[in-house]
Amino acid sequence: MPGPNRFRRAGGRVERWIWRGWGLLVGAVWFAVAAVADGSAASDHWAFRPLAAVRVPTPRDLTWACTPVDSFILTRLESVGLSPAPPTDRRTWMRRVSLDLIGLPPTPEQQEAFLRDEGSDAEARWVEFLLASPRYGERWAQYWLDLVRYADTHGFEVNTERPHAWPYRDYVIRALNEDRPFDRFVTEQLVGDSLGEDAATGFLVTAAALLPGQIGQDDASKRLARQDELTEIVHNVGEAFLGLSIGCARCHDHKFDPISQRDFFATQAFFAGVEYGDRPIRTPEAEARRQEAESLKPQLAEVESALTQFEPLARLNSEPRRESDPRRNEITFAAQSARVIRFTIHEANRHPNLGVIEPCLDEFEVFSAGPSATNLALASAGAKVSVSGSKVSDKHRPEHLTDGRYGNDHSWMSDEAGRGWVQIELPEARSIDRVVWGRDREGQFNDRLTTAYSLEVGLPGGALTTVAFVPPLRSAVSARRNTDRFVPVTTRRLRMTIMACTTLEPCLDELEVFTVGSNPTNVARLPGVRVTASGTFPESTEHRLEHLNDGQYGNDRSWISHEVGRGWVELEFPEPTLVDRVIWGRDRTGQFADRLPTTYRIEVQDEAGRWREVAGSTDRRAYEAEDKSPPPPALVGLESAERSEAERLLNHRRDLQRRLKELAQGPQVFGGIFKAPEVIRVLRRGDPEQPGDTVVPSRLTVLGAEPLTAEASDPERRRALAQWIVQSPLSARVWVNRVWQGHFGLGLVETANDFGLKGAAPSHPELLEWLAGEFQRAGGSLKHLHRLLVLSATYRQSSRIDPQAVAVDASDRLLWRFPSRRLEAETIRDSILAVNGRLDLKMGGPGFNLFRSRGGLDGFPPLETFTGDGLRRLIYSHKVRMERDAVFAAFDCPDAGQITGRRRQSTTPLQALNLFNSRFTLEESEVFAARVRADVGDAPEAQVRRAYQLALGREPEAVEARAILPVVKEQGLAPLCRALYNSSEFLVLP
Amino acid sequence: MTPSFSSTLHRPEALSVTGRHLLDRRQFLARTATGLGGVALTSLLGAEGLLGATPPVIDPGHPYRPRSPHYEPRARRILVIFCAGAVSQLETWDYKPELIRQDGQPLVGGPAVTFQGPAGNLARPQYEFRPRGQSGKMISDLVPHLAEQVDDFAFLHSLTSKTNTHGPAENFLSTGFVPDGFPSLGAWVSYALGSENQDLPAFVAIPDPRGVPQASINNWGPGFLPAEFQGTSFSAKDPIRNLLPPDSVTPASDRAARALLQEINRRHLERNPDDGSLAARISSYELAARMQLSVPEIGDLSSEPAYVLRSYGADDTAHPNKASFARNCILARRLIERGVRFVQLFNGAYASGGALNWDGHNKLKEQYDVHAQIMDQPVAALIRDLRQRGLLEDTVVVWCTEFGRMPMFQKGAQGRDHNPDGFTCWLTGAGVQSGVSYGATDELGRKAVENVLSIHDLNATLLHLLGLDHEQLTYEHNGVSRRLTDVHGHVIRSVLV
Repeated sequence: MPGPNRFRRAGGRVERWIWRGWGLLVGAVWFAVAAVADGSAASDHWAFRPLAAVRVPTPRDLTWACTPVDSFILTRLESVGLSPAPPTDRRTWMRRVSLDLIGLPPTPEQQEAFLRDEGSDAEARWVEFLLASPRYGERWAQYWLDLVRYADTHGFEVNTERPHAWPYRDYVIRALNEDRPFDRFVTEQLVGDSLGEDAATGFLVTAAALLPGQIGQDDASKRLARQDELTEIVHNVGEAFLGLSIGCARCHDHKFDPISQRDFFATQAFFAGVEYGDRPIRTPEAEARRQEAESLKPQLAEVESALTQFEPLARLNSEPRRESDPRRNEITFAAQSARVIRFTIHEANRHPNLGVIEPCLDEFEVFSAGPSATNLALASAGAKVSVSGSKVSDKHRPEHLTDGRYGNDHSWMSDEAGRGWVQIELPEARSIDRVVWGRDREGQFNDRLTTAYSLEVGLPGGALTTVAFVPPLRSAVSARRNTDRFVPVTTRRLRMTIMACTTLEPCLDELEVFTVGSNPTNVARLPGVRVTASGTFPESTEHRLEHLNDGQYGNDRSWISHEVGRGWVELEFPEPTLVDRVIWGRDRTGQFADRLPTTYRIEVQDEAGRWREVAGSTDRRAYEAEDKSPPPPALVGLESAERSEAERLLNHRRDLQRRLKELAQGPQVFGGIFKAPEVIRVLRRGDPEQPGDTVVPSRLTVLGAEPLTAEASDPERRRALAQWIVQSPLSARVWVNRVWQGHFGLGLVETANDFGLKGAAPSHPELLEWLAGEFQRAGGSLKHLHRLLVLSATYRQSSRIDPQAVAVDASDRLLWRFPSRRLEAETIRDSILAVNGRLDLKMGGPGFNLFRSRGGLDGFPPLETFTGDGLRRLIYSHKVRMERDAVFAAFDCPDAGQITGRRRQSTTPLQALNLFNSRFTLEESEVFAARVRADVGDAPEAQVRRAYQLALGREPEAVEARAILPVVKEQGLAPLCRALYNSSEFLVLP
Repeated sequence: MTPSFSSTLHRPEALSVTGRHLLDRRQFLARTATGLGGVALTSLLGAEGLLGATPPVIDPGHPYRPRSPHYEPRARRILVIFCAGAVSQLETWDYKPELIRQDGQPLVGGPAVTFQGPAGNLARPQYEFRPRGQSGKMISDLVPHLAEQVDDFAFLHSLTSKTNTHGPAENFLSTGFVPDGFPSLGAWVSYALGSENQDLPAFVAIPDPRGVPQASINNWGPGFLPAEFQGTSFSAKDPIRNLLPPDSVTPASDRAARALLQEINRRHLERNPDDGSLAARISSYELAARMQLSVPEIGDLSSEPAYVLRSYGADDTAHPNKASFARNCILARRLIERGVRFVQLFNGAYASGGALNWDGHNKLKEQYDVHAQIMDQPVAALIRDLRQRGLLEDTVVVWCTEFGRMPMFQKGAQGRDHNPDGFTCWLTGAGVQSGVSYGATDELGRKAVENVLSIHDLNATLLHLLGLDHEQLTYEHNGVSRRLTDVHGHVIRSVLV
């Protein structure tokens, strides 16, 4: 087989790139063969070379070309003996360019004005109108969102909401509408946090990610999840910006491209400091909120500190604790007359991941005393319910407490972690003797379970009687400071016996004993107090028995037992003293948390010389080393004066917390969270359990590795990467090719996401070089590219199929016609709504629902009828990863699982069923018919004409009208509207 | 031969990566008539090992037309019985007497922490095992009906997965990849082979009456394959969405809309006579119309005799979930009978602490009593029915689950945690040996130790039975020739006839 033995760039003239006489295929094949045969050829791969200066060729026919683009296209057509199709009519061109640039058809009025406009620049002005429309960004952003697999959920099995993803979607739309220069668009998405574009960093984390609760508890699962997160970032960067599947080299060197596994991890190292999470968007408004939050934090700390003085009484382990059942709990008591029943929640169980969260009750029932007991607490029986506060959703509402329906779906949820109250008021006083409550009587849930509560009953205005009380556990021991409060007792001797501690020999930095009254004194410090102990850590200057009551805190002034895990200390006062609390700590400076007593008892000696326990650890929560969400302090057991003050502080604290939460809910984006870079290692087979050498961030070897140092900070790394991408000739080629693909269906390089050795060779290599250069000359303006392409003669060609041309170039790669094609899902839905006048053009913000619920046990049942926000453009839907919209997803809508560089164009019976039979189409057809009637009245002829104008931008042909009119006269207009929405002409970019 | 530009362009499938999918019949003929230059190139490329596989050529007007496999298939259809939630191998098919002996002992050298948290002690199987059939294969009392047929099954006892999380593991089982977004096995098969029935979808997924499984539609999604190859989901209970218009549309109005659409599209086609994609669009509406007739007919079980309903348990009114699942099993048989290429039958819904699927973390015995009662008799009846009707001559059946369970109970619980290191699936039907067992876990059932298999091996085997070489069935996506089996997979020939 003849052919050149070596590819040469003669004198740097790129004209020689044309595959003369051999055609594209041979060249492409030769490329691949040469690359494989000769490793050095990889760096000589056309896409990796610097951009070449290209001269615009001169075609034989000098009359056709409107833009330089046309000269390239025509020269190429001429070289194979083809000629371009005749220009399409202006009406078709206008429809084409409108659907293409803004994803909506022109209105009949716009069309009429345009067709009347005989100015030579009418087309250019229409294009300017389209490019200036905010609808433009909404249309073209979709291509980029497909590419990065944007979604509003996290993906994988639980697929929970990612509630702050949308600011990134809005950023992309905004950036396109503002025609942000390409280098800025790239850089913002990588380092937007330092450019005032926090939302742009959403780019880094668009992939599906496992949430902490979904990752296995074993460390290997956690390492794997982290590695998967980092890999997804490499996928995004490699494919979206560079058109290279770098992500494929995680497990082994790339099969085709000169990308080694080390290259993969060196690319990953640019992101070693990136984590997935919500980051605040810093706008002036957000800054004001942040400042307010900062000012509230000290107040909150003050309140919390004040609250620590309210310690519940220690309870001794004498009476068995009533355990709550997630399903059903029955409280019986001696019958009494009551109208008010109040159930106060003091405590809830711990959620395994979330700690103590808001308790939930599915139903609260109050039974009448006597033989025919009935539930009086039903709304239907006239009972009124009030609550402390509610976290409201479809499933959780206060009225669900008394609706007679069980289960989580019909329950109430408090708005406070671990606390809340419910009060039932009966229409009249009744004799009652039983209350039944549950968290979820269907047995699906056992979190959010009330574990401590009081039940009080009585009459309005009067004092309530406590008929049941399950006290909360006291807080877990803390290394800093613990209070044990007890009923005041007069004693001369008090001892604390430690039976277990966290590690080694137990340690106390100070043991304080306070007198009763408004000015309590620490009697342990009184002169004449004698201290004794089971034994003391030998030969230490820091840990001495006398440090126990020396008034000085910290490890250096502490006592440590001589025995591992146990010991006792005793204070003997000079005279009997009335005391009611002991305060002790391990290290009140907070430096040390080891040696902490966890099991202990405190005893006093009575006058008869008997030791009596007054407090201990049995009623405390179990100690947890890192308790991120300690339960709120319980007030049960406080004296009433103390209690009302504590209530006041608690309320104040709750208000502060709510406000802080609100302020924290200032704009956020699911984006990069940045920290000091982790060490990145080459992983054998990509497996985090098989780590190898460490790597530093570096661009791909084949593109001239330039390693950063291991010390490079996270922002330095990302900035270096952004700079490299912007300067790389690959990124400009990849970008202009995407724009070409958007307009012509296929890119000049058909494999838009693969510019590597196995990717397709460009159909018009010189044109690609020229466009990339032109793009750079125009400062990276996307709108400049659009103008260049849509105002070209190439774009203006008719889409008519010429069988002779088909014989030469069946797939129209050389563009002898305009490649008409089916519209994309978003354009179809948006156009349906635009045509019937219902499209809501509200921009930005959280997405509208395509499904009745957002996951969980209900899954994603599709909505069928759309109103309100549901009539916005489809790009503003709440995009659920992997779940497909019930009507339009069948039109090759990407599922946001994997990166989509180009949508497929399939034709399936499901498309037909969805578009013909869905409630959406039928309802919108009715609206369409109503609009037409409103526009032109009741004459069927006028109606048909108007419906055609709106949907297809033309009048019906006479023969069509003759066939259609009798049907419309008999069945009304709606069937015609439904048919028009389904017609090929409506669904195809002409 | 003078290679010319035009002759190479006649082979867009060699030149272009995606254009080949858009070939219409006209191009196909043109290609075969003038493809000589291409033939030479093909051999060159083949010699260089660059061409790789030849992907199927899809006629856009008839995407479900039957296409030839790579070689003579053993099976023409496939039924996947997918038990979601990870069925414990230790309570079903994998008999471990040593585990009975070591009941209550700690597992020496075992993991301290598994997926959900701290591990407890070894726990004996919660059901008795006894020898079954001629082969004497030990099967538990959990699945008495299926146990009767063990002489027909080929057990794979040494499967392993790459992840211990349900959703990703279901992805892995159904798509060969852990991340979301890859094409499912059924999509690959319908892409490769089309269907033998042009009035029904090539690939039907039948969700459990209790809901969809954890990875939901990923299990029957098209991934990056063209959308026509996605599974169509319906069950005996829930019809295909949008199969029929809402009741508010009168038949006359419906007929009118259809007639008008036909008229508008016909005129449009007349103005664009050579556009194959327009013809394809019209024919997709025709297929949709045929489905409107054939799908309700196939879902209508009223013609099934009472003894059939009884044998499946579809008349078990005392157990509505079982009866409903049994109706899905009958639907599966009817689909197979009518030549649907790929039927995926789900048993078990999403994560629910084991309440709705086989995820027995806490009260394994209590929950498995419920799930097995739903699954066992209907599936056993389905397989027997297929066999009696001769359908297993050319249908392969696989019973599978995403991973297995640990031999220990979880600390403080009466159930087992996730175990991706060794679990059991089985095959029966066309091309599969009867009454064999392959691979083994260790004596406690913790890990596969003998003839260790990956999901890729299972998928490669299923494709092989359908006459497809898993290394040849590829699709270009983002610069990678994607396969169902990634870069792995060996056909498990030891269990094939």
